[in-house]
Amino acid sequence: MDKANYISGAGHIGLISWALFGGVFSADPLPFQITEVSVISGAEYAAMIAAQDAPQSATEVALPQSPDPGEATPDVASAPDTTTNQSAPEQSQKPPQDIPVPPTPPTPPETVVEDTPPTPPSPPEDVAVLAPEVAEQAVPRPADRVAPEPVAEPDPEAAPADTTQEAVTAEETGDAVEQEPQEATAPEAATTQIVTEATAAPARSIRPPANRPSAPAPAPTPAAQPAAPTPPAENTDAAVNAALAEALGGTPEPSAPSGPPLSAGERDALRVAVSNCWNVGSLSTDALNTTVVVAVSLTEDGKPQTASIRMLSSSGGSAAAADQAFGAARRAIIRCGANGFDLPPEKYSQWRDIEMTFNPEGMRLK
Amino acid sequence: MMRHLATLLLCLTLFGLPAFAQNGPLRIEITEGVIEPLPYAVPNFVPESGAAGEYGANIARVIADDLTGTGLFREVPASAYISQISDFAAPVQYADWKAINAQALVTGAVNVSGNTLTVKFRVYDVFSGAELGSGLQLAGTVDGWRRIAHKVADTVYSRITGEGGYFDSRVVFVSETGPKDDRKKRLAIMDYDGANVQYLTGSEAIVLAPRFSPNGDRVLYTSYETGFPRIYVLDVGNVQRRVLQQQDGTMSFAPRFAPNGQTVVYSLTQGGNTDIYTLDIASGSGARLTDAPSIETAPSYSPDGSQIVFESDRSGSQQLYVMPASGGEARRISFGQGRYGTPVWSPRGDLVAFTKQNNGRFHIGVMRLDGSEERLLTASFLDEGPTWAPNGRVLMFTRETQGAGGRASLYSVDISGRNLKPVRTPEGASDPSWSPLQN
Amino acid sequence: MNFLTKAVILTAGLALAACTNPNRFDNTGGNALNGAGSNAAGSVSDPTSVAYFQQAVGDRVLFAVDQSTISPDYIQVLNGQATWLTTNADYVAVIEGHADEQGTREYNLALGARRANAVREYLISRGVAENRLKVVSYGKERPIEVCSDEACYTKNRRAVTVLSSGLTG
Repeated sequence: MDKANYISGAGHIGLISWALFGGVFSADPLPFQITEVSVISGAEYAAMIAAQDAPQSATEVALPQSPDPGEATPDVASAPDTTTNQSAPEQSQKPPQDIPVPPTPPTPPETVVEDTPPTPPSPPEDVAVLAPEVAEQAVPRPADRVAPEPVAEPDPEAAPADTTQEAVTAEETGDAVEQEPQEATAPEAATTQIVTEATAAPARSIRPPANRPSAPAPAPTPAAQPAAPTPPAENTDAAVNAALAEALGGTPEPSAPSGPPLSAGERDALRVAVSNCWNVGSLSTDALNTTVVVAVSLTEDGKPQTASIRMLSSSGGSAAAADQAFGAARRAIIRCGANGFDLPPEKYSQWRDIEMTFNPEGMRLK
Repeated sequence: MMRHLATLLLCLTLFGLPAFAQNGPLRIEITEGVIEPLPYAVPNFVPESGAAGEYGANIARVIADDLTGTGLFREVPASAYISQISDFAAPVQYADWKAINAQALVTGAVNVSGNTLTVKFRVYDVFSGAELGSGLQLAGTVDGWRRIAHKVADTVYSRITGEGGYFDSRVVFVSETGPKDDRKKRLAIMDYDGANVQYLTGSEAIVLAPRFSPNGDRVLYTSYETGFPRIYVLDVGNVQRRVLQQQDGTMSFAPRFAPNGQTVVYSLTQGGNTDIYTLDIASGSGARLTDAPSIETAPSYSPDGSQIVFESDRSGSQQLYVMPASGGEARRISFGQGRYGTPVWSPRGDLVAFTKQNNGRFHIGVMRLDGSEERLLTASFLDEGPTWAPNGRVLMFTRETQGAGGRASLYSVDISGRNLKPVRTPEGASDPSWSPLQN
Repeated sequence: MNFLTKAVILTAGLALAACTNPNRFDNTGGNALNGAGSNAAGSVSDPTSVAYFQQAVGDRVLFAVDQSTISPDYIQVLNGQATWLTTNADYVAVIEGHADEQGTREYNLALGARRANAVREYLISRGVAENRLKVVSYGKERPIEVCSDEACYTKNRRAVTVLSSGLTG
C-alpha cells in the first residue's frame, strides 16, 4: 500500500476512536458554592447605601415640616431583624433622632405593607432625604435656578413666583364671593447643584469620558451648619444636657420671659425662608468670599423694617465686595419677608431683633 | 442623692443663666442660598428729540441681550409692565415694579443732534426702593450707538454684581469655509456679540490663532504667506501687516504680546526642535527663553508681565509649566490625568484656562496657578484654545464637530461652567481672541 | 516551455499594471510639481520623473500617534528617496510634516515639524545635501482624509517629500 492509504486509514481510526472514547477525558464540573442572595430593587439598594453614609455626617438638614406621623412606614425597613416595628402608630412617637433608619421604600419580603410612601420624608437629621432622590435620577437636570431643594418643572403657563398658586379665573368665582383673578404661579424649576457640560452625562463620544477632577459632590451636603439646638427629646436628662450645651455653647438662646424658647423648627423656618431669597448667582467672586452680618428688626406681623436693615460687620473681602454681599443679603430679607416671616407672635420679643450672618463659603462654585 | 443634686444644680443654672444673659437678638446663620438669574426690566429708553427715533428701543434691546446673555440675569418682558417709563425725570413707582418681580430696573433717555448721540440712564434696586449708584450720561457718534449701549450694560452689570463688565469689547478670530481637507481661512474681527464683522485678510494663505495687543490696536498672528508659518503683526486700524520673523530654515508661531505691548513671546522651530523666544517689536532684537529638546509652545504672560505659563512635553506628555518672564527654571502646575495645552492666564491673575485631552475627549478647564482646584467646564469631541473676557469671568473657545462634515464654531461659557452657548459668526470660526474693554 | 514563459510574462505585466492613485495632495507654496502638469517627462515609467518618485519610490512616510520616529516599515521608502535624490541632483525638496486632528493647534504644528525634520535628517544621513532639503509643518491644517477615525488619522500623520525643480533657494 502506498503512503496515501496509510494516512487515510490512520485518520479514520483516529476519528472513530475519538468518537468512542473521547468522553472518558472530560472532567466533571468542580463543585461550587451557592450563596443565598435576596433580591431588592435598585432604589432600595441605593437608599440603603445612602443611609449608611448619612449617619456619619455631622451636618444636619432641617426640613420645615416634621415627618408626617401617617408615613412612619419607613421604619419598617428594619423589619428583617424584628417583626415588632411594623405598627405604624408606635413609630410616630419615636423621637426622630433615635435610630438612623434607612428610609427605604418598603417591601422587604416578610412584611405586609399596605401603602408604600412614595419618597419617605425621613427624620430631619438624616441627610439621606435628598440622597434617594439623587440616587434615583442619575444626574441632576440642568436648570436655571440652583436651590437647596430640587423643584420639578412647573406648569409652563405658571409665572415664576416663590409660592404655588392655582390660577383663579373669573368664571370660577360664582356670584357672591369675588376673588381676584390670579395667575397660576409655581416655584421655578430648580436643581440642587450647578450642572455643567463637563459634569452632565455625556451624550456620546468616541470613548466615555474618564476622570473629572473635583466634580461637585452628588449629595448636597450643606456647608457648616450652625449648631442648632437639638429638638426637644423625651427624657429630661437629655433635655437638660442639651439645653446646657446650648447655653454654654455659641448660640445663646433668648430666655423664658416671653414664652418658651423658639423651637428649632421655628428658627429653621426663618432660616430657610431667608435662604430661598438669598440669590448669590450674580455676586462677584470677591463678594462670594465675604461674610456679612446683618441686623434687622421685624414688626409684629413678621415683616422686616427696611430702614432697620444695616450691616454690622463683614469679613473676608474688600469694602466693595462687602457692599455687594450686603446688598444681596438685604434683598433676601426684604423679598422673602414681604409677606411676613412665619414666626409665632407670642414670642415676638425673642425675634423682634435679629442678627443674620450670611456666609457664602458653601455657595462658591457650588 | 448626688445624682439628684447634680440635676438640681443643672436646672438652677439653666434658669439662672437667662437672668444673666441679655435678652439679645436672635442669631441665625445663613449658609445656603440660591443661584438664579436676577430678574430685571429695561424699558425702551425715552427719546428726547425727534431724531432719536428708534434708538431708544434698539439700545434697550442691546442692553437686555448683554445682561441676559451672561446667564446671571433674566429679563421681565415689556408685556408684563404695569407702569411705563415715559419721562426720564419722573420718580419711579417702585410698587409697580415690585409687583412684577423686577428686582433691578434700568431707565434711560436718548438724544440725537447731528451726528452726536447722547444717552442718560439710571439703575434702581427695586426692593430697596432706591437708586443704585447715580445717573450717568454717555455721548458718542450715532454710528457707535451699539458701543454706547454696551457701555451702559457694563455699568449696570458691575453695579449689580460688583464684577467688571465685558460688553464693550471685540473678538478677533479666524473665519473659515470649505471642507476639512481644503479649508479657507481668513482673519476677522467683530463685536463680542457677533455684530459688525469685518475681514482683515484674504484667504489665499492659511492664517492661524490671532491675538490682540494689550490695548486692542494690533493683532499678532501666524501666516503661511511665505510658504512657511511665520508670525506677523497687523494694525487693526489700517489693516497693514508686517512679518516679524523670517529666518531661513525656521518656522515661528503661537505669538502673544506682553502686557507692555512691546515684547512678543512666541515659539520658534529650528532643526525640528520648538522652543520659546521673545522679540522686541520695535527693534527686532530677541532672546531665547527655553532650551530643551522637547516641544515648548503656547506661551502666555501673567497680567503683571512677570511670569509666563506655557505647555511642554518634557515629561513625556503635554503639561503646563510656569517660568519667570526672562526664562529660567520652570515649575510644572498640571498633574491630572490627560494632556494639557493652550494655557491662558486670566486678566485677574488668579486662574489659568487650558485645553485638556483625556480618553478621547477634549475639555476646556481652569485651575489656580499652583495647579489646585482644577475644574473642567466643557466636554466634547474637540474643544480648544480658550480666551478670557476682560473681566476674567467668561471664556470663549473653539469647538469642532466630528467627521467628514465637521465644522468649527465659537462658544462661550462662564467660569462656573454655566451658560455654555454658541457665539454667532457668519461662517465657520475658530481661534478667538478677546480684546480688553475699549476705552 | 512555452506555457511557462507566457505565464511569467503575463504575471509580470499584471504586476507592473498595479497602480496607486495619483497624489491629490495640494501645496500652498509656489513651485511644487505634484499632481498633473509636471514639466518633466511625466510618465511613471520614466525613472527620473516626479511621478515615478511619488508612485514608485513613495513620497511619504507615516507615523504613530504622537511619535516622530521613523518606523522600520518606512526605512526602505526613505532609502529609495535618498537614492533618487542623489541620482537626480537638479531637484530640491520641501518635506512637509503633518499631524492628525487629535490635538491642539500649536502642539500639532510642532509635532509636524518634528516629523518633517526626522525625515530630513535621515535623508541627509543617506547622502542628500543639506541645502537641498527644507522642512515645513502644517500641523493639523491639511488633512488628506477627513473622517474622524483611526483609519483616516493614520493617513494624516505623515511627512511628505515634495519635489521642485532645483533653482537653489
